[in-house]
Amino acid sequence: MLATTSRRRPLGRTIVHVALALTVAFGTLAAAGGYWAVIKAPELVRSPLDPAVIQAARTVPRGTILDRDGEVLARNQKDANGELFRVYRGESISQVVGYASSRYGRAGLELAYDAELSGLGGDPVSDALRKFGTDPYDPKDLTLALSLELQRAAVRALGDRKGAVVMLDPRNGEVLAMASTPTYSASALADPATADRTFKALQEDEDEPLLPRATLGRYVPGSVFKIVTAIAGLGSGAVTPRTTYAEQPGAEEDGLVVDGFRIRDGHHLFTGSERLDLVGATQVSCNIWYALTGLETGGADLVEYAERLGFGEPLPFDLPTAISQVTNGSGDDPGGFVDDVELANAAYGQGETFVTPLQMALVASTVASGGELRRPRLVTAMTGERGTQTIGPHTVRRVLDGGDAAAITEAMVAAVETERGQQYTSGAKVPGVTTAGKSGTAELGGRGEPHSWFIGFAPAEAPRVAIAVLVEEAGRGAEVAAPMAGNLMELWLDSSE
Amino acid sequence: MTAASRRAPANALPRILGPIRPRPRWTEARLLALAAIALVVGSVSLRLGLEGEFGLANAAGLGIYLGALGLAHLAQVLAGRRTDQVLLPVVGLLGGISLLLMQRLPQGLVTLGEGEAALGLGDVQLVWLVLGIAVTTTIAIVVRSDAWLRRYKYTWAAVGIALLLLTFIFGADVAGQRLTLRLGPIGGQPSELLKVILVVFLAGYLSENRPLLIEQDTRLGPLRLPPLPYLAPMVAMWAIALGIVVIQRDLGAALLFFAVFLALTYAATGRLSLVVIGLVLFLAGSALMANLFEHVRDRIDIWLDPFADPLGAGYQIVQSLHAFARGGLLGTGLGNGLPMVGGRLPIPEIHTDFPLAALGEELGLVGVIAILGLYFVVIQRGLRIGASAADDFRAILATGLALIVGVQAFIIAAGNLKVLPLTGVTLPFVSYGGSSLLANAVVVGLLLALSDRGVEPPPPPSSATGWRRRIQRGSA
Repeated sequence: MLATTSRRRPLGRTIVHVALALTVAFGTLAAAGGYWAVIKAPELVRSPLDPAVIQAARTVPRGTILDRDGEVLARNQKDANGELFRVYRGESISQVVGYASSRYGRAGLELAYDAELSGLGGDPVSDALRKFGTDPYDPKDLTLALSLELQRAAVRALGDRKGAVVMLDPRNGEVLAMASTPTYSASALADPATADRTFKALQEDEDEPLLPRATLGRYVPGSVFKIVTAIAGLGSGAVTPRTTYAEQPGAEEDGLVVDGFRIRDGHHLFTGSERLDLVGATQVSCNIWYALTGLETGGADLVEYAERLGFGEPLPFDLPTAISQVTNGSGDDPGGFVDDVELANAAYGQGETFVTPLQMALVASTVASGGELRRPRLVTAMTGERGTQTIGPHTVRRVLDGGDAAAITEAMVAAVETERGQQYTSGAKVPGVTTAGKSGTAELGGRGEPHSWFIGFAPAEAPRVAIAVLVEEAGRGAEVAAPMAGNLMELWLDSSE
Repeated sequence: MTAASRRAPANALPRILGPIRPRPRWTEARLLALAAIALVVGSVSLRLGLEGEFGLANAAGLGIYLGALGLAHLAQVLAGRRTDQVLLPVVGLLGGISLLLMQRLPQGLVTLGEGEAALGLGDVQLVWLVLGIAVTTTIAIVVRSDAWLRRYKYTWAAVGIALLLLTFIFGADVAGQRLTLRLGPIGGQPSELLKVILVVFLAGYLSENRPLLIEQDTRLGPLRLPPLPYLAPMVAMWAIALGIVVIQRDLGAALLFFAVFLALTYAATGRLSLVVIGLVLFLAGSALMANLFEHVRDRIDIWLDPFADPLGAGYQIVQSLHAFARGGLLGTGLGNGLPMVGGRLPIPEIHTDFPLAALGEELGLVGVIAILGLYFVVIQRGLRIGASAADDFRAILATGLALIVGVQAFIIAAGNLKVLPLTGVTLPFVSYGGSSLLANAVVVGLLLALSDRGVEPPPPPSSATGWRRRIQRGSA
């Protein structure tokens, strides 16, 4: 340390320190400016809260929405006062396209693509260029992968039951149909003359017609979840397609006891003392084989493979999706399971497992595509005055290798094509086409009828369509969902080629 | 004995006017010409944006403003003082940007007078701006001695506290804050003037006691502090800052006072321990306030997550961020931004609290950084005047004046950008408001007067001056 007197330094040094502090402070401001004006800007300027978005909505015609064949799904019309409002092509598309109402906001694609439809969105370059033009708005027309014909057929098939159908093209992730019932009249909501009455009635409806069940409904999956367990078991190497369990045939009569909990099966009559492997267990939907496979795989790998399929976070999709889960993660066992009982139950789709129909369609589609998860796509192109921007297929990740996918396909084909399997999947077969699938009967713990499920794809050797059908509280999967899926896949395969 | 008290002959009253020897100020003239070109181009761009026609948005207003700047320049040339030549053009450009912005906003935001003679927002701001230029120029020319400031520091402190008390007792409540004092027809916000008085007092106090504060130690655990009695002003400042929060509900002014106080104390003493203690006091005070007062807690909650309630409590700040986002990199262009919904501007109180957001939308990130850069130039000039000043009092005073502008600009810009909780201080030279403009005009005027190296012989130096010569040589 210096002598006392020399500690009295001139002021200049400390002033430089003050200047440095202010430099840092102003640098922070510039960085914050960059964060909001550049990094966060694309999100903020598309928000429905942005005054520019609100202003545009009142004055600029929105872009039209077309299906894959060019059928107009949403267009504009002028009311008596010259203000614009939206008209939609029937009720079947309401859960996908949504509505744009001057009073009740937006929903569905009308919400998700609000900025593009009202002409505000775009890539940063065209945004920058637009500022030099005279008309700041460039509304985009959206072209969807959806087929209006197939969508209508799916809604008609569900009829007055509550449920959802999701149909994907496994080769490129295109969403061919995404039906949710009950549905509603989006046109009546968008028309100022009927909006109030319609909205009030919809809000009071106990069947929640405004809920897009395909993307936001979360359901117990039952046996359709076994395909996820098979993916995790084979993918992690815990089991092979030839794996059998010594305890399985013996336990068929009285059930398999896991930590005091008894897992039962109903196929003893057909299989007797047969030791089942992947194909055999999938054919008759053997709970015990799948419970044992789940235990063999372990909670950590089961959850990890489910997450590779899209569980655990919102799906990468045009519309918001609910999060599908294998377990609610409250336990301390690997993967978040409470104990082996929960893990064993989850392995055949009971327990704390909840899924969206879209997620299960992705499971089927992933097996169909040889193990690759493809991003589901509703919007395939956006057309504005400066040309068309296509949104191409995107492989999110490889979930499992082609050999394992082929083994699971073989098991799913057996479940639909063989006589033994058809007791569980009656009507799912598309005539003349090798069909793969898995039904599910999701028990709701004593409350009413189980949910009826089916997931599958066809043709098995070169899949062009994957499907998930869910019908709420409709009984066994074989009776309701499976024939519906068969008919819809047939309709699509016939009409598309 | 310090410098201030050694001199102080009875006849050291301010010399009002010296002999007139005109001296050209070419740097200032060139910079002013650049600022004028920028403002004329801006005005044309604004007219194009608003009306799609070529011409000046408000030729008379801009003409009067540029004329006033030109007169200020001429007056200084005639006065012949060797004062800083960068401050006036930079502050003039900021003021011009303010004028264009206020002409561009709906004129009904502020009206003065009635009927045909009523003045709108742009006109009122023009009046204040021209008055501000007059104040700056007058101080820059007339003030040739700082004795009246340094000799009566406790008087100034008393005036400041009296202003604060008067505001508390007689002030009018506006939007939950008691900031405005009315005397007959004239109203104003005393805290704007208070910040100048504070810096004058601190400069007097710190320069007088600097030797003591630096050289004597009191040990308090691991900390080495100045003698405890000399910490009293720090505690007093802390109390005043808290008082402003409690009484006036003015978080911004409290933050500004305390930050300027800490920075000045550090500049004068070089003791980091004081800054540390100050920050601890600040955090303790903030925690106390947040626990005691709902409005403080609300401000902090809104700051942490304005998007939690984008249509209610967080509305203002969320809309400000949207404005920056709409501006993007290059901005929408003057007159093309700020979409009105239902006849209302997107951001409430845009002309006083959010001019930076408005400019950020229309001028883009490039414009925001340029404006921040202008403030940085003001700070840099101010600190340089401080570093090359002839004695401690002037050095601390100039540093403090620069800090007032810099810290205040930082606080409100940070509030607009969600870097700090939003507080209602003005953006110096840009926000609408007479008190703010005039107080900052006084600041610039004093800085100009302090920068004069040609007139008043400095008081006998109280420490070695070699470093000052070095800096002067380096900066010349």
